[in-house]
Amino acid sequence: MSASLLQLTDVTIRFGGLTAVSSVTADVREGELAGLIGPNGAGKTTLFNLITGVYQPTEGRIEFAGASTAGAKPFHLTERGIARTFQNIRLFPSLSVSDNVRVAFHRHLEHRTWQSWLRGGRFHAEEAELRERTRELLSLFNLERVQEAPAKSLSYGDQRRLEIVRALATGPRLLLLDEPAAGMNPSEKDELMRLIRFVRDRFRLAVLLVEHDMKVVMGICERIHVLEYGRKIAEGSPEEIRVDPKVIAAYLGD
Amino acid sequence: MTEFLQQLLNGVLLGAIYALIALGYTMVYGVLRFINFAHSDVFMLGAFVAWYSVEKLGLPTQSIGGGLAALLLSMSVCAVLGVVIEKLAYKPLRQRSTLTVLITAIGVSLLIQNVAQNSRLGFGPNPKAFPALFPSQQLHFGALTVSTHQLVVLGVALSLLGVLYWIVHHTRIGTAMRAVSFNATAASLVGINNDRIISFTFGLGSALAGAGGVLYAMNYPSIDPLMGTLPGLKAFVAAVLGGIGNLPGAALGGLLIGLVETFVSGTRLSTFRDAIAFGILIAILLFRPAGLLGKLKVEKV
Amino acid sequence: MVFPVAQRWLLAALILAWVASAVSSSIDPYFLDVVMGVGVSVVLASSLNLINGFTGQFSLGHAGFMAVGAYTSAMLTTVVAPRLGWHPVLLQWVFFPLSLIAAGLLAAVAGLAVGAPSLRLKGDYLAIVTLGFGEIIRVVLQNMDMVGGARGLTGVPAYSNLFWTFGTAALTVYTVWALLNSTHGRGFLAVADDEVAAEAMGLDTTRYKITAFGIGAFFAGVAGGLYAHLKGYLNPGGFSFDKSIEIVVMVILGGMGRHAGVVFAAILLTLLPEGLRELGSRSVPNPFGGAAWSLDWIKEMRMILYSLMLIVLMLMRPQGLFHRSERRRRGA
Repeated sequence: MSASLLQLTDVTIRFGGLTAVSSVTADVREGELAGLIGPNGAGKTTLFNLITGVYQPTEGRIEFAGASTAGAKPFHLTERGIARTFQNIRLFPSLSVSDNVRVAFHRHLEHRTWQSWLRGGRFHAEEAELRERTRELLSLFNLERVQEAPAKSLSYGDQRRLEIVRALATGPRLLLLDEPAAGMNPSEKDELMRLIRFVRDRFRLAVLLVEHDMKVVMGICERIHVLEYGRKIAEGSPEEIRVDPKVIAAYLGD
Repeated sequence: MTEFLQQLLNGVLLGAIYALIALGYTMVYGVLRFINFAHSDVFMLGAFVAWYSVEKLGLPTQSIGGGLAALLLSMSVCAVLGVVIEKLAYKPLRQRSTLTVLITAIGVSLLIQNVAQNSRLGFGPNPKAFPALFPSQQLHFGALTVSTHQLVVLGVALSLLGVLYWIVHHTRIGTAMRAVSFNATAASLVGINNDRIISFTFGLGSALAGAGGVLYAMNYPSIDPLMGTLPGLKAFVAAVLGGIGNLPGAALGGLLIGLVETFVSGTRLSTFRDAIAFGILIAILLFRPAGLLGKLKVEKV
Repeated sequence: MVFPVAQRWLLAALILAWVASAVSSSIDPYFLDVVMGVGVSVVLASSLNLINGFTGQFSLGHAGFMAVGAYTSAMLTTVVAPRLGWHPVLLQWVFFPLSLIAAGLLAAVAGLAVGAPSLRLKGDYLAIVTLGFGEIIRVVLQNMDMVGGARGLTGVPAYSNLFWTFGTAALTVYTVWALLNSTHGRGFLAVADDEVAAEAMGLDTTRYKITAFGIGAFFAGVAGGLYAHLKGYLNPGGFSFDKSIEIVVMVILGGMGRHAGVVFAAILLTLLPEGLRELGSRSVPNPFGGAAWSLDWIKEMRMILYSLMLIVLMLMRPQGLFHRSERRRRGA
């Protein structure tokens, strides 16, 4: 069993009187493909926002790679190795495809902003290298052909993929995917499942996936956490989850 | 003590006028989520309509009937104007970004100001003396001096606030207004005609601004095409202070701004009084952006 | 390589400005004034574009930053400079640029002071706060006897020449260009496009916004200094809300976030009023005989046309007049 990369301990968040996530304990291991499922309003996206620092937990602890994430802002956590995609695609619509990725690469730059003004040798060398890395990354996902197009002009499927590519450019150890299969047809979903496995193997990172589509979740996740009304009701392999009476009740009951 | 009471009274009067203007900002923000920059110019036009009704239409001055007629005329003209501005300039932009609408509103405001300043098309740039609309007399309550004009301001402002409260809470259209302001999409789903409500809101807000303009002018010797800018900005601050979109908040905010400004005017800092409102604005946005009575919204990610 | 060319352009522009200023004594003074005004406008519009266009904020207080710069440099050249006993040439070519830098820095400090706390605010709220800030600056200046209060500050030496105005304009244009055509600089555009996503991609959005405010305010301050030494006198009323709006209109007409478009709009909108003034002093022959028709009314129509233009632009082409052509280039 490999070590936990992400560890949530008794995490609770309240918005006014509403407890959106209640005492959730869960973990994602190094290199694991984990899933997070639950009926609508179970608190899945809220949990994502807690992990990425958009919200701070009211109670409980979140640790990433052995260090607490308390007080860290989203961009700090990205620097520490957490990247994400969004449920409703959030690309930089007016930037070109390659600029979307380039911006995400920016934390690997050695030169500072003012050096872009001087435009010395180091600036040019680094920018050239970055362009090359961007192209390589895009070509891995077959997006090289549209790299100069504005992101908003891409097809829906390409936008979803570009969001994943952009997240990868930040160099994550943990990739959070928020409903990546939303709005896809069956063949696109198969393609997506292949893509997620490929990403995990190629970039050697852990993936945590929020998804409604059971076929996708059951098909690729090695371990699944189930939320209902902000509480965790089950955890286990797809086989275990499939037959868990509490999960069945949550999805079929009331 | 007398000094204090006198200032308190002046502050309340000024605050009541700010409240009338602030309500227009807040109502429009409630239904359309944008700052109607041109609101302060409607306020200015309100004062000018009253001036015209006396100088050109010959309504009697120093009379209760004439004063009320001028006031009602102002309110009606402003209401129509508010609706027209909304239809021409803002309605075509319904689906556009806040910024586009904001810039348009600034454009409308500049247009009204500049047309008004133009001597061929408007009133011309020079200030005009404002007539005494109502019978004017100084009344003495002990050491306290109150003019009848001040009483009129107070009376009219309070009645209008009452009428507004009644419209918003006890009429069908008021309920619809609250529904649209709560959730425009849902309101249209249950059969509310949003465009009609928006028009009505603009009309109502503009009528209040018009009345505010007349009342403001009554306590100042002269009016000019740029007179709306500062009171308008301060009233906006009042709306933010109370919590934008919140009607009692706007009234409370107006009152507070009026009081603070009046008391500051009585001190050595009086020349800075125009800066005070903005200082308050910046402080409130930093420490309590939702305003005194407002609720904060969290952006959904 | 494309990039060194840009620096060569900058150098060429500076040399050209130098040559032009050397022969400026033979240029018609009125024309010279207009041309220098164009330079100042380019600085103002480009720097505001960095805030309002590229970083997606909305400042209505640019005249406030300009005022800080104008008064700073004017105080330096009218109060401090005479005590130094420097040769006039040194004053114009050494002391004056230093005073411009001081003007820029102080304006930048003001920009950071406004920017830092108000960055949580979006769109119209930020607009109002910056507007309020601009008004506060104006009221404070009006109440400062040291700088002449409401009467204004007179006797500011005419140090602004073609070199300083156009040199600064070229430098501003270059700075904005260099900043944007870099990976760091694309961060500004990313922040404008989607703040939440930018933060998730590891961009410190707050730092980006503050940087934009600081740089934008710096150049507005420098522009203020140039303006002061161009006009020869200052009064707080010259830095009112209307001035801010004028700069905003340039940015909007050029297409927010379109660099070349905004520069072009700044030039156009500075020349336009002069053209209208010229036109207004003429008259057309009356086709029905009798006295010629005076075009005097055009002078008064300037601001009306401005505001109408703003409204029509928002209704018809909110992306600005010069949007399409540059968008293509930015993609390449």
